[in-house]
Amino acid sequence: MVKRTFLYDEHLKLNAKMVDFAGWEMPVQYHSIIEEHNNVRKNAGIFDVSHMGEIFVSGKESLNFIQYLVPQNIEKLTDGKAMYCQLTNTNGGIVDDLLVYKLKDTNYLLVVNASRVENDYEWIIKNKNSFDVIIENKSDIYSMIAIQGPKASDIIEKAGLIKEEQPKTLCIKETSLFDSKIYISRTGYTGEDGFEIIMKNEDAVKFWNLILKAGEKYNLLPVGLGARDTLRLEAAMSLYGNELNETTTPIEANLSWSVDKNKKENYIGKKVIESQLANGTEKKLIAFKMIERAIARHEYEIMYNNENIGKVTSGGFAPSLGFNIGLGYIKTNKNLKNGDIIQIMVRNKLYNAQITNKNFIIKHNKGN
Amino acid sequence: MIDNMLCSKSHEYVYEKDGNYCIGLTDFAIEQLGDIVFVELPEVGSYYSKGEIFGTVESVKAASELYMPVSGKIIETNEKLIEKPELLNEEPFDGMWLIKISSDSFNEDIGDLTDYNKYKEEVE
Repeated sequence: MVKRTFLYDEHLKLNAKMVDFAGWEMPVQYHSIIEEHNNVRKNAGIFDVSHMGEIFVSGKESLNFIQYLVPQNIEKLTDGKAMYCQLTNTNGGIVDDLLVYKLKDTNYLLVVNASRVENDYEWIIKNKNSFDVIIENKSDIYSMIAIQGPKASDIIEKAGLIKEEQPKTLCIKETSLFDSKIYISRTGYTGEDGFEIIMKNEDAVKFWNLILKAGEKYNLLPVGLGARDTLRLEAAMSLYGNELNETTTPIEANLSWSVDKNKKENYIGKKVIESQLANGTEKKLIAFKMIERAIARHEYEIMYNNENIGKVTSGGFAPSLGFNIGLGYIKTNKNLKNGDIIQIMVRNKLYNAQITNKNFIIKHNKGN
Repeated sequence: MIDNMLCSKSHEYVYEKDGNYCIGLTDFAIEQLGDIVFVELPEVGSYYSKGEIFGTVESVKAASELYMPVSGKIIETNEKLIEKPELLNEEPFDGMWLIKISSDSFNEDIGDLTDYNKYKEEVE
């Protein structure tokens, strides 16, 4: 059965085109993906991300338990802070990528991908062992709305939370808005400044409409999953199922920055991850831009000197750049680096592309 | 609206103009694709049989291949779409033909094509 978020009727009222995504019927676009994309970069967009999962971990040993699940060092988190992490398996493969929020004391919130909620919950329960923790999957009682873009902070202020009271980048706050209790974090998946608000399902419609109203004079527009994907691709952020999966490690996925190299505590997959940190990997994630006029798409082959060296994981037109970009895995044995030319096989023809660093756009979601 | 337009199940249209034939993509297909960002068209002078892939249209979301609704030789391609694929979204679809062909077998090839109104009823 395909699930619907509590905002389903609002999407229909806004003439959204609905698609099936990760078992959910979600808006892919309201009017035009490119317009929605550009408006997030220029003004702001509002996204229904209620399909994402919320798993709460609490109890005496919650810190030690989460330390055991992720390669990051959660001990560094103070109350109200968030960290980007991965759940890893014994081979170092990524079970899911997620944000771990330390709410307060021993209370943590894990925000996970829609497609992985059930799987993550089972994984976490399975690895609980003798840890003294309480694990609650509350994904079915919470909705989530994201407001992203340079005007996001103004809009949230207009909605009733003045700037001084807004959480700082990568922070979360438990507060009240429109007379309802919420969690609001300064996080997102677009490369822009922005917020994600978690509220009870029954409050979702109220929040959606009141935020849209608060955003009217800032040109806030609803944004579907289509632009969510082009925005994250330009920000070179990985998507679970494309760049990340159970046979890919955070090191291969270019996520070493989110692995604590000096972590003393044991965690699942530590042996493999430490060995890869020391000895390197056989494949690595790269970003590239198309030099010739063609669009690289998921699963297309990456070639070098007529040899297959990997596969595209995501690719498409980048509306903010005006050219085509992509992400993909290549073998490391060719020692290819930024600036080198590779080819993408598009409908049995080879087209040149150039390996680039991952800074397609200037990100505005860091520090404030 | 062009009154002699015929449409295929794969959403190409064809109509006769001055003894040759214009082939393009239906408004329904364009609407389904969304923002079009790439158009690839065949070489002028090449010959394609009915059902053969003659080009590609890609939107932000997806790539869609183009199939010949009738056999024929390419005599002209709509070059402005190469530079400005978004014209397919912006301009009336029946003016934005992709290719012009000459065809000796038009009358034999149109058996499975339907007129535009019937096509619209079927897809909507």
